[in-house]
Amino acid sequence: MLPYLLQRLLLLLPTLIGVTCISFAITHLAPGDPAELRAGGGLGGAGAEGLSSKNRGDLDRALAAWRAQYGLDQSLPAQYWRWLRNLGTLEFGNSFKDNQPVWRKIAERLPITIQLNAVSIVMIYLVAIPLGVYSATHPYSVSDQATTFTAFLLFALPSFWIGTLAIVFLCGGDFLDLFPPGGMTSVGYSSTWPFWQRLWDRAWHLCLPVLVMSYGGFAGLSRFMRSSMLENIRQDYVQTARAKGLSEHLVIYKHVLRNSLIPIVTIMASILPGLISGSVIIETIFSIPGVGLLAYEAVLARDYPIIMAVFTISSLLTLVSILISDTLLTLVDPRITFSGRSA
Amino acid sequence: MRVETLAQAGRKPWLALGLLLLCVSFLPAHAAEVPVTGDWLVSHMLSDPEQLNPLTSNDGGSASILNYIFENLLDHHPQTLELRPQLATARPQISDDKLTYTFTLRRDAHFQDGKPLTGQDVLFSVKAIKNPWVNAPFLRVYYQSLVQAELVDDYTLRLVAKEPYFLNETVLSQVPVLPRHYYDPDGSMDSLSVTELAALRPGDAAAEASPQGTQARKFAEQFNTNFSRNPMGSGPYKFHSWQTGQAVVLQRDPHYWGIGKEGIDQPYIDQRTMRVFNNPDAALVALKAGELDTMPLMPIQHLKQTSGARFDKQFAKHQFFTPSYSYIGWNNAHPLFSDMRVRQAMTYLTNRQQMVKTLLFELGEVVNGPIYLFRPEYDKTLVPYPYDPQKALQLLGEAGWKDTDGDGILDKMIDGQKVPFRFEIKFNSGNEIRKSVALTLQDELKKHGVDANVRQLDWTIYLDDVRNHKFEAVILGWGMPAIEPDEYQVWHSSQAENKGSNHVSYKNTRADALLEEYRRTFDAQKRVELYREFQQILHQEQPYTFLFIQKAILAVDRRFQNVKLYPQRPRPLEWWVPKAQQRYHEVSQ
Repeated sequence: MLPYLLQRLLLLLPTLIGVTCISFAITHLAPGDPAELRAGGGLGGAGAEGLSSKNRGDLDRALAAWRAQYGLDQSLPAQYWRWLRNLGTLEFGNSFKDNQPVWRKIAERLPITIQLNAVSIVMIYLVAIPLGVYSATHPYSVSDQATTFTAFLLFALPSFWIGTLAIVFLCGGDFLDLFPPGGMTSVGYSSTWPFWQRLWDRAWHLCLPVLVMSYGGFAGLSRFMRSSMLENIRQDYVQTARAKGLSEHLVIYKHVLRNSLIPIVTIMASILPGLISGSVIIETIFSIPGVGLLAYEAVLARDYPIIMAVFTISSLLTLVSILISDTLLTLVDPRITFSGRSA
Repeated sequence: MRVETLAQAGRKPWLALGLLLLCVSFLPAHAAEVPVTGDWLVSHMLSDPEQLNPLTSNDGGSASILNYIFENLLDHHPQTLELRPQLATARPQISDDKLTYTFTLRRDAHFQDGKPLTGQDVLFSVKAIKNPWVNAPFLRVYYQSLVQAELVDDYTLRLVAKEPYFLNETVLSQVPVLPRHYYDPDGSMDSLSVTELAALRPGDAAAEASPQGTQARKFAEQFNTNFSRNPMGSGPYKFHSWQTGQAVVLQRDPHYWGIGKEGIDQPYIDQRTMRVFNNPDAALVALKAGELDTMPLMPIQHLKQTSGARFDKQFAKHQFFTPSYSYIGWNNAHPLFSDMRVRQAMTYLTNRQQMVKTLLFELGEVVNGPIYLFRPEYDKTLVPYPYDPQKALQLLGEAGWKDTDGDGILDKMIDGQKVPFRFEIKFNSGNEIRKSVALTLQDELKKHGVDANVRQLDWTIYLDDVRNHKFEAVILGWGMPAIEPDEYQVWHSSQAENKGSNHVSYKNTRADALLEEYRRTFDAQKRVELYREFQQILHQEQPYTFLFIQKAILAVDRRFQNVKLYPQRPRPLEWWVPKAQQRYHEVSQ
């Protein structure tokens, strides 16, 4: 087990470097010059845009100096090498937008995104697993079909649409006033509020985003749970358990459910990367200042340091989660070994 | 509604091309009532400002916040747009050669920390702009003409420009004044002069290693990174907090030096909170729910989502022109469009009245040139090109375009080759109005034997194409200054080279001469005459098909008083709320 883990960890590094190399190339080769974009007044250009100045020569010199400051005047491989060396010291550079360290900008937004995603994921599991169990224990019944149909209906509803509808109808416009229309805090919010009041305020603001984010996830997971259960129910050991007179309740919840959870446990790890990058749309609709929104705005503004940092972190999380999945699998199911195969 | 005068007061008002900033509105002021202080104004931002350093930020969002925190030597009167004293006691003395500008400062102004504001601070601010390592390349370009700055005494500043230019006074007086003791605590910039700084070239090893270079870089490094979220100036509002992606909060400075001073705008609202809603639909709901007091409305929101007694009772909607226009730019250097008659024909085929009606829902007006409709330079005698396909076909025929092979598309022999009239209209994706303009025009052209393709591009790619003249036709917009315009950079033939703003490669010797003379003319009436002639040339030549100017709509909670209409933008600084109607009674801690 240990040599296997070590081997996997060692493999992780070249994979990560490969991934960053490709994403670096794609990011930098995509058309659009961050310096020119800044000269055009940032992203305010959707309406009437300023393209240039009264003295292009001066501006060109200024732009060249600006590029030099961020090393954008060097060749692409040289830039990549520099970026990689900095990465070695966990240094992601400064954002083009406000010259602030990238790690600080991400760290500031990370807790919000993780909160949002973690709550949604818990929510998905809490709903989808019982749903799957129910479907599997009542296979092909009307109620099974109804729950499956509902889950898939929810899956098919685009979250940006439902999110907007929820805001219009539930957030105090012309209709019901149940939730805030966006943001993370109320207008009069103050950090001097007592803890429970701050907690309540945050929870109230997270309600709709979490609901909208999770409803689409019920279908996949509940189907997964259902088929896993059905597969186990057909097994001989279930027959045996029933034959020796165990109650149906005990058979389902002690034997079938436990064994059916094995694959579910392993796919849990794969949601790790989703923790930081899975919520761009929800963050945009509900004005939640998270990492997804930061990355999206950075892509539009060609803010390379931020794009690269988010890419790197999410690919690292992806790699780690694959590793965790595999490891978990060997732990929960002793029949599976990787070390033999990799030797 | 009527805008009587023309105006603009911006942070960089001399930019011929600004961001689309929102303007103005009006209500009959309650003349009998005396303004009182108190309450909050909660307004809407689509995203965070870039950063709150007045020199290194370069976006409209930051500028609209920093305007409350920082002051200039002179500012523009909101109605007349004349320069008027702010931190200076009067407009500067200008030498006969129009190169030296001497400003005298007020002695009673102080910063928000109570320290007096002197010439040292103004000089420091000028130096910070001129320091080539300070991350303000875009601002610095406008101060290229400033070659020397010195203090005559602690309250008198002398600035010297490289060449005479009628906007020098405007440019020089718009330096945001930063407190030296706060932004340069070590005094790194004290020993450097503007002349020395102007001579330094970044990237030049000798300059970087020189004592001046080392000193300038040392200052720039801390200035660029340490001051992006903690502005401090002399203005009526103090910075309170900035929660990333959520809100920026400013609070009225009770010790503001200008309180009760004649000629200085008085602030009344105690707290200004600017909340971020990335989603305009959510923002509108927030407005209706009372979480916002004011926001600009999109046309569809104005027409469909904010009608009804309930909304009207709570909010007033103000309509006003935004000083900016949309146009179709024809690549004048392209064989298809180098003939003036072809460009005129294109304008005859563009049904602009109809576009204003159906695309803008009447929230706009057709324009005939690049000058803001309310400026004295604007030539009202120009007769707009009507929609007239017959006239267009006649002009195309005169230019040699006929369908000789009967394939339904006009053609012409160019350099011994038969060329069909086929081209591409480019615009940036996500802009629905431009898309509709392109499709409408495509449809119209098709009826008359012109085959136009429509292509939408991502903004950055689009910009590259525009700057490198890689297009036949583009749909774009320019901001128009509400203060005196300078159209040199957009129309002068020299600006067609080197990625300049004359991206349609318009070249006309008479226009060049007019643009040059205009910049050297200090007599305002003479300048008006020069630009009248310039507009007539443009009107004749149609390098662009000028489309329209749009109106913006601002919803404001009715408890705010003194919401007036100005030519450039609303001035929430003047708004106030009667005691009985105030909603918030304490400022944030």
